[in-house]
Amino acid sequence: MFPSNNSNDDRDLVGRARRGDREAFTQLIVQYQVPLYNMALRMVGKPDDAADIAQEAFLRAWEKIRTLREAPFKSWLFQIAANLCYDHFRRGRRYGVMPDEEITSNVVGLGIATPGPQERAEANERTRLVRDCIQALDHDMRIAIVLRDVNGMAYEEIAAVLRVPLGTVKSRIARARAQVQEQLQRHPDFFPTTEDAHAE
Amino acid sequence: MPSEPRTPAEPTLEELSAYLDHELDSAAEARVADHVAACDQCRARLEGLRETAHAIRALPMETPPRRFTIPEQRRRGWRWAPAGWIGSAAVALLLIAVGIQNLHLPAGPTATSGSFSTNSGGLANAPATRSEKGAVPPLSAPSPFTQQFDAQSAGAATNAATVVDSSNSARRLYPANDRMRVTVQLIGSPSTSLQSADQGLTLTLVRNGQGVALRPVGVESFNGTPIFGGWYDLASFPLSAPLAGDYRLQATWLIPDGSGRVLQVSVPVRIAG
Ligand SMILES: [Zn+2]
Repeated sequence: MFPSNNSNDDRDLVGRARRGDREAFTQLIVQYQVPLYNMALRMVGKPDDAADIAQEAFLRAWEKIRTLREAPFKSWLFQIAANLCYDHFRRGRRYGVMPDEEITSNVVGLGIATPGPQERAEANERTRLVRDCIQALDHDMRIAIVLRDVNGMAYEEIAAVLRVPLGTVKSRIARARAQVQEQLQRHPDFFPTTEDAHAE
Repeated sequence: MPSEPRTPAEPTLEELSAYLDHELDSAAEARVADHVAACDQCRARLEGLRETAHAIRALPMETPPRRFTIPEQRRRGWRWAPAGWIGSAAVALLLIAVGIQNLHLPAGPTATSGSFSTNSGGLANAPATRSEKGAVPPLSAPSPFTQQFDAQSAGAATNAATVVDSSNSARRLYPANDRMRVTVQLIGSPSTSLQSADQGLTLTLVRNGQGVALRPVGVESFNGTPIFGGWYDLASFPLSAPLAGDYRLQATWLIPDGSGRVLQVSVPVRIAG
């Protein structure tokens, strides 16, 4: 996926989708599924949960696209997904869950997630470490840094997604980075201190 | 630049972080640049932040584990918040929608969408029915054949009554790896709670008088209408053998207004062997 300034290309697709054109909306899905899924994944940690959130976000966007007025589609879509992430945290459980026994034994914890064996094997240690550091952030800081450093959004775009002032975005990102940095520095084998590191 | 003794004022953490992102105005950017050039400590802090941002940006962009789908047609007749229904406390409506996503269809001939495409009846006073199916093109990564089948039936009553949906169209599910999307709307509920117990809502998959309770998960309260639902993993249902057969997914709502009124609606679901 390219870093986005797709709002112009979106406009045509959004206009068609507003008139009920599934094909146009499908193109929007294709365009945003990877960044949206990855945003959710870095927020909630589990691939299944992230996919559920992305799916639900697309469904809601499709259902409500006629209410979209001036706002860029991308910010609006991410806003829907961000709200779903917060819902997920509030409920502390998955989107779709099964019979009672299943759910009680399966409540998703917050904080640093312990990856399953399979997951552990897939991800290399460094990736896992970074991911866990992000997971350890509080939700407000986490979403700000995910939108910035995972999704590459500008501060103004993040402010629109989160509906907070620019200054809040700035401070959440800075504090998130400082906290992640502090955690990473506990693992000098993966993250050499800045004396050894090279700036580009 | 203000004439500081040697270097401009110490930049804050926020300024250093925003400097990395080129999100400072030009005056502030110049000030931070001047300072950092002359101050080892701030340069080290800046590099630390830069390394951190790079570490996060280096996380792999992962491929979604499945395709995302939208229904073939928008839900018709009602929006998420049909203003006429909400707020008139005398009216309560229970809507249930069941969608099916076959993530891994059994080998062999794939299902024909024709046999899944159903248009359910619903009762005369139900606000709408809907029938949906569809899929979006695959991701670049190979993914299993995916198709979503979705149909809904709705039942409603305006007064104390138990109403059972009259639809007889069956949604077919395969037991392995299938997921069923269920959406239940409690229109006109006196409560906005998303706890199923507060709402008096139960969901059961029934066959021959035996049921499996599904936990209704509160999804959102949209303009006062509590919405429950989620994806249910069919494989994890503790169903008795043989799995295959005709079921009904039944939603029962004991309206939490003290009246003792119950609304009930069900949709047929067929599990194929
Ligand atoms: Zn300094």
